[in-house]
Amino acid sequence: MDEKELLGQLATLREPAVLATIVSARGSTPRKTGARMLVGRDSVIAGTVGGGCGEGEVIAAAEELFAGGPPRTVRVDLTDDFTTWSPAVCGGIMDVFIERANPERFDDS
Amino acid sequence: MNPSAAQVAARVLEALERGQRIYTAVVTGARDPALIGRRWWLSGRRHGGSLGSPALDEAVAAAVPALFPPRESRGALSRDFRCQDGDRAATVTVYIELHGPPARMVIVGAGHIAIPLSRMAAMLGMRVEVLDDRADFAAADRFPEAAAVRVIDFRDPFADMNLGPSDHVVLVTRGHSFDYECLVRLLRMSAPPGYIGMIGSRRRVRATHEQLVREGFTTDEMRRVRAPVGLDLGGQTPAEIAVSVVAEIILFHAGGTGVPLVEKERVVERFFGDRGARHAAED
Repeated sequence: MDEKELLGQLATLREPAVLATIVSARGSTPRKTGARMLVGRDSVIAGTVGGGCGEGEVIAAAEELFAGGPPRTVRVDLTDDFTTWSPAVCGGIMDVFIERANPERFDDS
Repeated sequence: MNPSAAQVAARVLEALERGQRIYTAVVTGARDPALIGRRWWLSGRRHGGSLGSPALDEAVAAAVPALFPPRESRGALSRDFRCQDGDRAATVTVYIELHGPPARMVIVGAGHIAIPLSRMAAMLGMRVEVLDDRADFAAADRFPEAAAVRVIDFRDPFADMNLGPSDHVVLVTRGHSFDYECLVRLLRMSAPPGYIGMIGSRRRVRATHEQLVREGFTTDEMRRVRAPVGLDLGGQTPAEIAVSVVAEIILFHAGGTGVPLVEKERVVERFFGDRGARHAAED
């Protein structure tokens, strides 16, 4: 999905969603600074912050925001993955900022 | 009311629709948790939201022109800013994005190289415009990826195009007299395109430059033209030549070295074998 499409989806979201954005990346991360992912209550809506590499951690953190947690920066360290020889070969560190994309659509706000 | 990411995304799309640059910023780190998630945007003289204090908004507004070079149409980075938190100074981390209209690639000469070049430039996300004086070559169905295909007169090839430093122009015309006509126009612009490339053998490039010298252009002005255009990959076919041109454009923006990574990193030499073992120990 191209970036403009994702911006379009973000701008017109009807359901509550959490936005995850890579705000800094060092080393060999699969996606670079500026990459985005939109996470719905039950599933990823669009985009990616790196596929197998650390995305699970980000999705888990996004769930906290549905539960009322504050926006925050999640540090994802992919340097350990390298030694496990997982098919997703990554070796960097990235900071992913997660926040409610459309707080006005959340029931509790 | 702090604008949401969704609301700012709508602003970004509006700015792109109007062909304008827009900067967006969000606080991602601060001692005061109330600041985290504060958002602000700036497009020309218009702006909205706030990062928590007018002083910080102004500091970011002042910093962005230097953080994102004018030829870039997209950028994303985080920076720390010092600002006053009550009576003491605090550091606030701000994530800033630039969105701008896509970079433009003007291909002059709609021949066999223009076809793969148009495709590849479009793949890089550029807005492609193809020009030729022959209507059967400058035909929209030959360039499905191009945003515009124009039939032009080489006596004034860039009329009404508003070329500027963020643009790329690649000359692949059928003769050096046409290249020459284009170069004279481009080099005399008050703000010429940032990337000007011209295809050709050494002989053809030299003939064009000799004509420029006769016209009174200096060697500094001539060096603005990347001619022959492209990286030395050794390719011959139109597609291979197009790869070499777009590779040079990537290099121009991304600032790499252009050498094969295997030679740059030299992993085997550094970490393996007798000589490598010594280097590995030093690392």
